[in-house]
Amino acid sequence: MADTEISGDTPGPPGDATGAVATEEAPATPELGAAPGHDPLLHQGLEHHHPSPVKYVGIAVLLAIITSLEVAIYYINMPDGLMVAFLLVLAILKFSLVAAFFMHLKFDSPMLRRVFIAGIILAGVVYTVALLTLRVLV
Amino acid sequence: MQAAIAPAPHTPAPGDHDYAVTGIDSRKLGMWGFLASECLFFGALISSHLLYRARAPQGVKLPHDVYDIPYTSVSSFVLLMSSLTMVLALAAIQRGDHRRLRLWLLATAFLGTVFIGGQVYEFTTFTHHGVNLSSSVAASSFFLLTGFHGVHVTVGILWLMSLVGISLRGQLPAEKHLQVEIAGLYWHFVDVVWILIFTVVYLVPNHH
Repeated sequence: MADTEISGDTPGPPGDATGAVATEEAPATPELGAAPGHDPLLHQGLEHHHPSPVKYVGIAVLLAIITSLEVAIYYINMPDGLMVAFLLVLAILKFSLVAAFFMHLKFDSPMLRRVFIAGIILAGVVYTVALLTLRVLV
Repeated sequence: MQAAIAPAPHTPAPGDHDYAVTGIDSRKLGMWGFLASECLFFGALISSHLLYRARAPQGVKLPHDVYDIPYTSVSSFVLLMSSLTMVLALAAIQRGDHRRLRLWLLATAFLGTVFIGGQVYEFTTFTHHGVNLSSSVAASSFFLLTGFHGVHVTVGILWLMSLVGISLRGQLPAEKHLQVEIAGLYWHFVDVVWILIFTVVYLVPNHH
């Protein structure tokens, strides 16, 4: 079922290989299609399973709801530690939703995911250690 | 017989210079590398602000004392929605719908401009409350952080407007949708950075 594996929600321009039929055709550059590690779709700058515009709107509504929750938590009287934990979880959730769906990390090559996550982890570790050393976080 | 034949080594074809051996467009890979480095850049600015506001002397007026959370929440919401319009612009060019591409790009640039306008208003209000670049190190680090973010948004707006101009001249065919996608990656990154700034700098309580 090739047509269920390749999303038809964001069909490419005429002549592109985003459609199910086009995926069964020979790659535009045969030598790339034959080379190991080369995905014909990725080669043409296209990605698998891009969500539909309706799904994008759904994600945006979810992001708006999470933002409202964050602001509500800010005004609720609760212990600071609990508030910070809730706020950080919600921020990470929003960050992940934007990166996964709007930036297409969920659908793109795993290498792009690794590059970006490496940057996040490096920054997270370096600055957490720095702030812990300077006794800002404790 | 066929199984014994080793795959032919990749020999670049004409016009195929943008693809590295990974099979990923090198412009896209480069943008992701740049965004990964930006994590360290913004991480340094956020950490500096957290450090200086935690160490601020008693009695010094900090940005935290004059925040208008409902106002900044609306501003954050505007930037969040600009990510939606940006991704809809990409979906439009992938469909070959150039009219909607320009419409969504303009909407994204407009929302970004509203966000920048809000930031200018916020900075002005802070100054009127006695919190400015030179009032304390904590305030300096706040303006440096949010100002640099604002510069990123402004660069994004200029980038989007240039795409609109290129599209109007008919030089942005559907096959070149990667140009919109790369601009979109930058724009979404600016959005996710604001998600963190809004939470860590604005909402997380300060105990100085």
